[in-house]
Amino acid sequence: MHMRGIVVWAIAAAAIGGCQNGPGGDGDTNGATDSDGVTDGVPAGATDGGEAAECRGIEPGPSPIRRMNRREYDNTVFDLLGDDSRPAQNFPAEEEALGFNNNADALVVTSLLAEGYLAAAEALAENAVKDLPALLHGCDVKSDGEAACAERFITEFGRSAYRRPLAAGEVKTLLAVHQAAADEFDFVTGVRLTMTAMLQSPHFLYRVEFGEPMPDSDDILKLAPYELASRLSYFLWGTMPDAELFAAAAEGRLAEPEDVAKQATRMLADARARATVRDFHGQWLELRRIEEMEKDDEAFPEFDPEIRPLLRAEAEKFLDHVIWDDQGDLDSIYLAPYTFLNGELADYYGVKGPNGDAFEKFELPPGQASGFLTQGGLLSVLAKPNQTSPIHRGKFVRERLLCQVVPPPPDNVDITPPEVDPTLPTRERFKQHSVDPTCSGCHSMMDPVGFGFEHFDGIGRWRDEEAGKPVDASGEIIGATTKGTFDGVPELAALLIDSPETERCMTLQWFRYAYGRADADADACTIDDLTRQFAGSGRRIQDLIVALTQSEAFLYRRAPEGE
Amino acid sequence: MIMRSSNFSRRTFLRGAGGACLALPLLDIMHGCDSPGVAALPQQFRGKGGPKRFVVFWTPNGTIMSNWRPTGSPDAFTLPRILAPLDPHKQDIVVLDGVDELSAYKGPGDAHQKGTGQGLTGTELQEGDFAGADGLSAGWADGISVDQAIADAVGNETRFRSLEFGVHVYGANVGSRISYRGPAQPIPPENDPAAAFNRIFGDLESDPEAQKRRIAERRIVLDAVAEDYKRLVPRLGAADKIKLDAHLAAVRDIEMRLDTVGSVGGACQPPVLGEVKDPTKVGNIPATGKLQMDLLAMALACDLTRVASLMWMNSATAKPFPWLDIPEGHHELAHRGDSDLDAQEKLTRINVWYCEQFAYLIERLKSLPEGDGSVLDNTLLIWVNEHQKGNDHDRHEIPYVLAGKAGGAMKPGRWMQVQGDVPHNNLLVGLMNAMGLEATTFGNPKYCTGALSLA
Repeated sequence: MHMRGIVVWAIAAAAIGGCQNGPGGDGDTNGATDSDGVTDGVPAGATDGGEAAECRGIEPGPSPIRRMNRREYDNTVFDLLGDDSRPAQNFPAEEEALGFNNNADALVVTSLLAEGYLAAAEALAENAVKDLPALLHGCDVKSDGEAACAERFITEFGRSAYRRPLAAGEVKTLLAVHQAAADEFDFVTGVRLTMTAMLQSPHFLYRVEFGEPMPDSDDILKLAPYELASRLSYFLWGTMPDAELFAAAAEGRLAEPEDVAKQATRMLADARARATVRDFHGQWLELRRIEEMEKDDEAFPEFDPEIRPLLRAEAEKFLDHVIWDDQGDLDSIYLAPYTFLNGELADYYGVKGPNGDAFEKFELPPGQASGFLTQGGLLSVLAKPNQTSPIHRGKFVRERLLCQVVPPPPDNVDITPPEVDPTLPTRERFKQHSVDPTCSGCHSMMDPVGFGFEHFDGIGRWRDEEAGKPVDASGEIIGATTKGTFDGVPELAALLIDSPETERCMTLQWFRYAYGRADADADACTIDDLTRQFAGSGRRIQDLIVALTQSEAFLYRRAPEGE
Repeated sequence: MIMRSSNFSRRTFLRGAGGACLALPLLDIMHGCDSPGVAALPQQFRGKGGPKRFVVFWTPNGTIMSNWRPTGSPDAFTLPRILAPLDPHKQDIVVLDGVDELSAYKGPGDAHQKGTGQGLTGTELQEGDFAGADGLSAGWADGISVDQAIADAVGNETRFRSLEFGVHVYGANVGSRISYRGPAQPIPPENDPAAAFNRIFGDLESDPEAQKRRIAERRIVLDAVAEDYKRLVPRLGAADKIKLDAHLAAVRDIEMRLDTVGSVGGACQPPVLGEVKDPTKVGNIPATGKLQMDLLAMALACDLTRVASLMWMNSATAKPFPWLDIPEGHHELAHRGDSDLDAQEKLTRINVWYCEQFAYLIERLKSLPEGDGSVLDNTLLIWVNEHQKGNDHDRHEIPYVLAGKAGGAMKPGRWMQVQGDVPHNNLLVGLMNAMGLEATTFGNPKYCTGALSLA
């Protein structure tokens, strides 16, 4: 567990006995203390502008060894062997941390997974040796001899599988494995078993980084070119490096940060980068949960589970469009007055929109649309099976969009949501939270934010009335930095994008996803720096992605420490 | 998803008349028809005609005590509504009434975290960052769980030291794990019956030569893999070292068990799964659970493992029960007041349903002949709940139900009421003793005052 910094505030807050405890009470995201001028997750230094004095020297932060997750494994074996069987779908699900499934600290290996690796490697190798000549790269066993051909296979396959050239000692060791298998069985079996072993090697399953020493520094290492190539390919594409990255590493074209940026920019133009951005949103915005959500038939008879993939597609098509084909900035993601619909979804929402199966860009009535925040998938995930949930919607804004921490409800408290009552609007029914002092401390952080979404029912459709009364979507967000009153989601979104917390949180979420780890105290300068760059670029997501390849956390690592 | 019908079920299977033992030539190399493997077991680990087994059945969010507690006397008792599904098995169960999870009032974590993480470990949780209620937080459990302690004694000759099954266990935190290899070493359950099938039965070969060949190949491969990790580990920093050491241990474990294959025949008849419904869908929970129990039972019958657990959803699960027409989440319902009759009724129905599942597992084990009885007779099965009561998280008088005879070490057919403060650590010791382990304490000794005898 290396996320200690993240929850420090929640614990501290509870210890003082509530959620409203003066400035700073909205949660501190960067793990610093909550009493020394760090408020709302934005260090004072950042808002005052100017780099804090301690941001000198190179500070890469923690550099845990990273193991492939299931998506990366399947992508990798496809690129490595052309195998599209997606074997990792049989592996146990990743342990998640901070909402992401690629957190290095959480990805440990149990017997179950080790058995999965063995079974997958056996199947992959068995398939691969069916085309032996391809594996031998032109080596002919009859004329060149078995030993030479085995060596050719190990050298060539090793370079791709380990994502770097093999050291002479490694080739020798693997040759011995081949020889043992060939002696006991035959040459082809030798190749197959050697490959089976290589596909379970730490050099394949993990990104092993030894770095390169730097002058005047014992504890900071520069990433070696092949290591950088892998960092780039797994961050931007979720797979192994392509031929160009390998060539760049081999030819010394990954030595400087500008080289890395150039590659990142090239890679962003590839469809695989889009898939990665989609993967990020699936996790950050909980879009993955759309397909699992269940609704109460009685409350929402019109909700057909078949609509779920369409709701997810709407969100993805919208984000794809904004990020790749339009402005590409944070503001558009929050504010865009349009979405993407097909005929079935238009019917679902009850709007006169596109017909047919294809999704089309569709301008929604004024005041009803605000980027991803008004889309049906998110709003029905952030709802109960039979009604809306201002609490979950408010909590989502606090945790995912502002990177604040909201503590869970206290022990021994009745957390039953109010019964659905056809004569009372939701906000009336949730009144107890603001009346009961044991609830109001925390719920004043969440409910008044969530009430702003009340125009959207429990399955994400617009409504003008609830319980026979016009919807009251007025709300308030309290805090030291992000604060104010608003009416409806577009006004809330406008308030959010004006807050420095929002751009910092977006930076932080990408940081956690890109580097596969929680932000540590040591990362404060890096995060400040990335946030500044993000703001300076007009808050363009593509620029943020490239900036993430330019940070000290990306280009350097710490030398191994400890016993 | 359609299961590939396995070679195992199609070709290997010799369905013997009258359950006669028809072990296959290769597969009984190790154990043989009369289970010499079992005969070679130390007496204390041996049941009647088979080894002793230990199984945990775990459910969340407490029960409704007024509908759970029997009436009558210890030997002549009536099962109330929640336990009524066990009526046909009354002579096979012990309703254990009055044991308190005292340790779970101590240490880091909230009531759910402690109730779950301490249920089988009997020791405080570690400090950590899993957020709990009241601003409390915790890490993983700080000790080995009782199933693993038992597995360390009885699980070394089987293909799997233990098997962990889950039904819709989501997430990876202290509320979604019950089993621990040691401090902060949680074992994730397998939630997918198809994957469980492939793991447990998938690579048994019908052809003895093929089986021998596979083992020989794996020995070469796994040896190379283990060496690879061993070479790398010394070059890593402390945190990475721990991670790769754990990976190496997992590889070694597979390697060590290459030769251990179960004996097929008699009661051991690997199931044909048929269609497996998506185990990630809440609506499929009943179907998933049934398959998991079928696999669990057969893994025991085939002696592929002697220790198993089945975890139903998570601590404080908020999932609804659509198949019972209960749209509210379980945790929400569990938090409603005692006077909310609708909630009490729904919670009762949820627990009745869980009890029906427990009864199904008992039936499965009973239907597997072994010795002159059944696999159930050689098994110690225990139903554990994280709490007694949902709305106040009471961890006193945990509603345990045990089943089986543990090869004669446990006397069933009783409503066993214990008086006063009896810490659940004592029960954990009692379980170990019944399984043949000579333990006198378990978990944090601070909470253990001796063994609760089940004899």
